[in-house]
Amino acid sequence: MSFREPAWRVTAWELEASTEEERGSGERAASYLVSPFGGRFNRVLVAGTLSPAEAVGREETQPFWRARLTDPTGSVVVTAGSFQPRAMAQLRAVTDARPALVVGKVHLYRGRDGTGYVSLRAEALRSVSESEERAVLAEVARQTLDRLDLLGRLVAEPEVSVEALGADGTPTLWIRAAQESLRRYPSADRGPFRASLAAVIRRVGGTTSVVPPPPPAPTVRVRHAAPPPARAPPSAAERAEEALVLDLLDQVADASLDSYADRRELLARVSSQGLVGTRAEEVLTRLEEEGVVEEPIVGKLRLSQRPS
Amino acid sequence: MPANSSTEAPREVRLRDLKPSDSPVEFVARIVTCQRREVTRKSDGSRRPLLSGLLSDGTATVRFSWWDPPREGVERGTVIRAVAPEVGEYRGRPEVSFTWRSRVGPASEAELPRLDPAEIPRRALRDLRPPDEGFRVEGRVVRVAERTVSVGEERRVVFEGLLADRTGTVSFSAWSDFRLAPGEAVEVVGGYVRSFRGAVQLVLDERTSVRRLERADLPEAAEVLEAPPRSMARVEEEGGGASVSVEGRVVGLLPPSGLVYRCPQCRRSVQGGVCRVHGAVTGELDLRARIVLDDGTGAVTVNAGRAETERLWGTTLDACRARLRDQPDVSVLEGELLDALLGRRLRVRGAGSKDDFGVTITPDRIDSAEVDLESTAEELSVRFGSTRR
Repeated sequence: MSFREPAWRVTAWELEASTEEERGSGERAASYLVSPFGGRFNRVLVAGTLSPAEAVGREETQPFWRARLTDPTGSVVVTAGSFQPRAMAQLRAVTDARPALVVGKVHLYRGRDGTGYVSLRAEALRSVSESEERAVLAEVARQTLDRLDLLGRLVAEPEVSVEALGADGTPTLWIRAAQESLRRYPSADRGPFRASLAAVIRRVGGTTSVVPPPPPAPTVRVRHAAPPPARAPPSAAERAEEALVLDLLDQVADASLDSYADRRELLARVSSQGLVGTRAEEVLTRLEEEGVVEEPIVGKLRLSQRPS
Repeated sequence: MPANSSTEAPREVRLRDLKPSDSPVEFVARIVTCQRREVTRKSDGSRRPLLSGLLSDGTATVRFSWWDPPREGVERGTVIRAVAPEVGEYRGRPEVSFTWRSRVGPASEAELPRLDPAEIPRRALRDLRPPDEGFRVEGRVVRVAERTVSVGEERRVVFEGLLADRTGTVSFSAWSDFRLAPGEAVEVVGGYVRSFRGAVQLVLDERTSVRRLERADLPEAAEVLEAPPRSMARVEEEGGGASVSVEGRVVGLLPPSGLVYRCPQCRRSVQGGVCRVHGAVTGELDLRARIVLDDGTGAVTVNAGRAETERLWGTTLDACRARLRDQPDVSVLEGELLDALLGRRLRVRGAGSKDDFGVTITPDRIDSAEVDLESTAEELSVRFGSTRR
């Protein structure tokens, strides 16, 4: 049986905190994101304030739009491409920040430092009235509390059976998810997460106004802890390495559907040309810092669009 | 001493205990259905008469084949005693055939096994599955309506309705008039279960007995009709039932939704001007919505017909037809329908059926389910505060 994946009611915080993936094997198998807070989802329903979308695709035939949905706990990137034409049209129609709900599939990209970035590929979205947004947030708060209670019971009685837990009508799906969540995040601190639901509940009651619209979706740039140290001008050997990387970047980008060069693919090609491991990363990082290469979507590289 | 089929005395059995075996058996049963035909022998091309059909003694129903049956006196309803039939098996179910070795003759009603209802296992409505039989159930008649149908050449009256117990509901069709009335508590003995249009159905026929119950632990009819919604996870697990109530949000539409063309003869939807049954036809415009409703624990498909779709959308079929003149792309209208429905919270009651892809509900009614934000927020904040750790 392959029933439709339910749309889990979640907050942006829960999405942002989810870094564990469970990849399905076999044809058309679903992949899941496991959260530290009892979730194991493929599809979610979220509500919040949607920022105006920006186009991130370079080719007109492969449009790709991105916006940011902010709820009282945080925000998450929402994307739609030409495979979701209706959702994309809706995303494009958002010209100023407004309440919206989004049904979408979760997507995890793991950066090279191991950090996970979660985004939502919208299947359907709609601008809604403030009261509709609050009603969806009520479901989000209620079901999140339900799942946290379930986690609490599992922690308190690790040996309790699925049947016993399900006796009050708790879905088996949630119980399995909670078990997996505890297994994957044995030391997660759920206190601050639970506390964040207070803001959601206040929003449901209408005691806080619309979440302030987020700043316009920034181009995702890799953040570095320290400013780049001053460096001597690159040597001729370094110049040659940069040229190799840029050359391969062009080739990879040309061959890809979305006209971006996939970071991993690029690094694989570079290493096959003799520039291996950390050395290749260093060159790429330097090119990014110098503004020659940019990463507008995490994991997707292109030559900088800005005049340098 | 080894079993010897020619000398051993036949053992009297009930049909539910019938198993393929060498030792001879005998039983008394009623012919439930039968048809005569002739089978051509391969060896010499001669024709041999065969009567085949179903036998029942109230404990089970089995298929039978009767080679060289009497020319007359054997028909539907006849009670027979069969001694030393051959017992075989087909797809895990026993079958009998009467050959030259068997002795089959008429028997009286009185010889049929006396079924003490207490002896027949009682089943919960939720657990009924085709092709169950030989059980008894207790249920409340939630609703019942008379309908005339054509069965082959024949016009027959059938009483269709809904039966409920504490475990669930099942639709039934009664092919005899048991004078069932809504609200009655009944015990049904000797019915059987079939699959009708993908849903489980309890069938009551002339060999079924119905007894009114004075007192029974059964839900009232109104309770069933006004039952609070169940979680979709549970509905997906249990497969719905004849009366299922759910509440959730619209998260999508499945094709075909919006404007569809239907065969003028059978109302099936027409693809590319061709009806699956009636071939090339001029399709008639209709409006429908195949709504994906989701409550966070599971999802069901709700097949809304024209009236429900018009009401939910706030647009009529006629208005859509008028729009088609300047907007011939029906997918645009489908998109507008999705925009009108997406995210709306609906309460749906109807008949559920389950297949490999999930549960589909044919709705009796669809209502908007409003959320009272203030009281919900109050309730949530009490809960948030009281279980703080």
